[in-house]
Amino acid sequence: MKDLDVVVIGGGLLGCLAARNLCRWNLHIALLEAREDVCTGISRANTAIVYPGYDHKPGTLKSEMCVRANARFDALCQELDVPFSRCGSLMVSFGEKADAVLRKKYENGLLLGVPGLRMLSGEEARKMEPALAEGVSSALYAPTAGTVNPWELGIAACENATANGVELCLNTCVLGIGRTAKGYRIETDQEVFSCRAVVNCSGLSADSVQKLLFPTPVYIAPDAADYLILDKSAENKPAHIIQYEPEDGGKGFNAVPTVEGSLLLGPSERKNEVDFAVSKEGLSFVRERAARVLPGLNLQDTIRSFAAVRPNPQHPDGSSIGSYVIDNPDSGFWSLIGIKTPGLTCADELGRYVADRLAAELCAEERPGFDPHRVGIRRARDLPLSERVVLVQENAAYGEILCHCEGVTKAEILEAIRRGAVSVDGVKRRAGSGMGCCQGSRCERAVMELLAAELGVPVGAVRKDGPGSEILEGSHGKN
Amino acid sequence: MERTELLIVGAGAAGISAACAAWDAGCRDVLLADRLPYAGGILPQCIHEGFGLSAFGSELTGPAYVERLAEGLAQRGVRFLPGKEVLAVTKEKTAVLSGKGGVEEIRFERLILATGSRERTVGSLSIAGTRPAGIFTAGQAQEMINLHHWRLGSQVVILGSGDMGMILARRFTLEGKQVLAVLEQDAHYGGLARNFHRCIEAYQIPIRYRCTVREIHGMPRITGVTVEALDNGKSEFLPCDTLVTAIGLVPERELIRGFEKEPWLSLAGNCSRVYELADSAAAEGAKVGRYVGKQLVK
Ligand SMILES: Cc1cc2nc3c(=O)[nH]c(=O)nc-3n(C[C@H](O)[C@H](O)[C@H](O)COP(=O)(O)OP(=O)(O)OC[C@H]3O[C@@H](n4cnc5c(N)ncnc54)[C@H](O)[C@@H]3O)c2cc1C
Ligand SMILES: Cc1cc2nc3c(=O)[nH]c(=O)nc-3n(C[C@H](O)[C@H](O)[C@H](O)COP(=O)(O)OP(=O)(O)OC[C@H]3O[C@@H](n4cnc5c(N)ncnc54)[C@H](O)[C@@H]3O)c2cc1C
Repeated sequence: MKDLDVVVIGGGLLGCLAARNLCRWNLHIALLEAREDVCTGISRANTAIVYPGYDHKPGTLKSEMCVRANARFDALCQELDVPFSRCGSLMVSFGEKADAVLRKKYENGLLLGVPGLRMLSGEEARKMEPALAEGVSSALYAPTAGTVNPWELGIAACENATANGVELCLNTCVLGIGRTAKGYRIETDQEVFSCRAVVNCSGLSADSVQKLLFPTPVYIAPDAADYLILDKSAENKPAHIIQYEPEDGGKGFNAVPTVEGSLLLGPSERKNEVDFAVSKEGLSFVRERAARVLPGLNLQDTIRSFAAVRPNPQHPDGSSIGSYVIDNPDSGFWSLIGIKTPGLTCADELGRYVADRLAAELCAEERPGFDPHRVGIRRARDLPLSERVVLVQENAAYGEILCHCEGVTKAEILEAIRRGAVSVDGVKRRAGSGMGCCQGSRCERAVMELLAAELGVPVGAVRKDGPGSEILEGSHGKN
Repeated sequence: MERTELLIVGAGAAGISAACAAWDAGCRDVLLADRLPYAGGILPQCIHEGFGLSAFGSELTGPAYVERLAEGLAQRGVRFLPGKEVLAVTKEKTAVLSGKGGVEEIRFERLILATGSRERTVGSLSIAGTRPAGIFTAGQAQEMINLHHWRLGSQVVILGSGDMGMILARRFTLEGKQVLAVLEQDAHYGGLARNFHRCIEAYQIPIRYRCTVREIHGMPRITGVTVEALDNGKSEFLPCDTLVTAIGLVPERELIRGFEKEPWLSLAGNCSRVYELADSAAAEGAKVGRYVGKQLVK
């Protein structure tokens, strides 16, 4: 049995940032993740927007957190060495009804103290963003909106947490939770953990994990969403995040110029579906929205489509819950249940919120040695030539480009594996290989060989992502 | 900064031919760079026969064809740099090269781009369904099987009946795998008639026209595809453990994105337009090489 102060359940964005925030205190912490890698759940597939925070009801935790989280985002990304693009957003409308909705949001934003908001006419908006459709009648400009790669942020937080002493337990699924004199007893498919406190960040399973010991005030009613990604070479991409507020009050739409340079379009909305499989109707919806708002885009530039699952929080009677649910059913037990948009934006705030309260409950002292800085994988492509020359002299593997679309070198891929990637997608999430227009078809083989060599397994055992996803004919693959 | 009169990017059929022709035209300062550790581009992985009928008068395999080309290269004083990727080209006529041996910037007078083509992938089709393991592009599958002797799946569906799709269908069959279907959206196969006879007919591989893959099933590995008939919209589930896409090539011109017609720049081979035959890519390479070589000597 492993003895700890705090067990964090779930290695998504919320769990990773909760664990990192807990490191500020003198506590012995473990982060438990059921899968073989962190950030492969909701945190892997979402819209990647760091929201400015004008959307939420004043006086709620969500509205307060979102504005504050946005303001702190540069500092967070600097500490964790993660690229963050504060590109600003334009929420656009086509007609009077939606114009009025934007003005309401604008006023709400002013009330909440969202900096720099401006209402623009359609003409002003097009001047700022020539890619916008002629029919745009007004726009709400939010200069503080931005975008970050969600899994990059989560992985960085996890690396920083482990560097500060958090024990990361992968392939460890929580099956049961019990009360003990000391606090809690966590049963998993691996070992048993004994701890004084628990933070439940288990994403889509957060309600069922809570139910292992306590009743849950919130049920998760998942639904699915679809996205398209256009290549970085696509023409007429917007420079700002574009959000669309439909006249009929229906589902909006986002176009996000990602930190990688591609353009993310979506999401669609499919009720009562829990499937990470892409739907044809969902894709048509996204295409139709894109054509309406950004007519200059050529959807032939699509390089990928994917699906996501939303963890919609509901009351037991089925009515939906708008605010964040941070449940504390007993001392030392904290649950984040059904945290959807803007959960990425607020992940650090939510982590801090819970960590501060837990530290007080446990009478923990601040840890003097806490180092908030993590250094990312050094990327050859970002360096000026002179530095690149020196880098390759020091390490020849920095000269060998393996992912030609994104210019990722062998050294970066080896470093991704050293930092914990155990699959081709794990490498992709850390090194960025396979994110470009060929979607890994040219580098996958080389990545597989490196994984096999570094992990000491035959190439036939190399996986795309997780158990059962062997790329070659399973164990029959020749080494 | 090092200088060269002529920089050729890509040592496939087109690039090698261009280098040799430029040399023969009198240019004595030719640098040929390729990111692969060997010469020949796509050819070494094309182990089937069907190359060189017009250039060498006999039907060679891809590797044998490269051997001929490489002999010609060795007889001339062209500097060949394998394992060197050209990372960037500027309008000021400089290029950055990167390889194990180092990164360097060089200045050139003329540039011949012979970077070949890249494959369209399944991602570009936005097919509904899951995103499992077990999906390959034809070129990727060909490289894994022919150059690395890796074993892909046993129940294979091939999307696209161009030359690559048909040749891959035969390869899988020869490897003892079952090709369940080659799917083609048109009413006729896409590639050369000789490939249809030698690959599809000769091995009695089922080919279905006017249909496409509408949905991908299975997670974490592919378990099947939904095939839709385009004429009547009827769909059918086809179980498989491997999907190979052979849905077309795109000329690889990333290095010169945004460039206008520059007087110092020429294109040859598949990056200029996609050639069905290596001989044609080589012939264009030779023509461009000769022309550029002559201009440099003048
Ligand atoms: C479609 C969509 C779009 C979104 N867009 C945005 C946006 O643009 N901006 C924004 O700010 N927010 C956005 N969000 C919200 C944000 O993505 C989420 O709030 C955030 O990613 C939630 O992370 P998580 O850690 O709760 O979940 P996850 O990433 O799913 O992590 C939960 C982890 O717990 C693990 N786990 C589950 N059960 C167990 C168990 N029993 N034992 C051990 N481990 C377990 C899982 O394997 C998983 O790794 C979006 C969300 C969705 C769904
Ligand atoms: C499956 C298949 C079957 C075929 N069958 C036949 C056949 O039976 N008969 C026939 O005649 N033809 C056949 N062909 C066609 C023929 O092989 C091609 O048309 C021809 O080989 C193309 O030559 P290339 O030099 O233009 O391109 P490639 O051979 O693709 O060479 C381009 C080279 O450029 C390099 N490169 C690209 N970018 C960079 C960079 N930035 N820096 C450095 N190097 C770079 C690449 O590594 C590559 O080596 C077939 C092709 C395929 C794919």
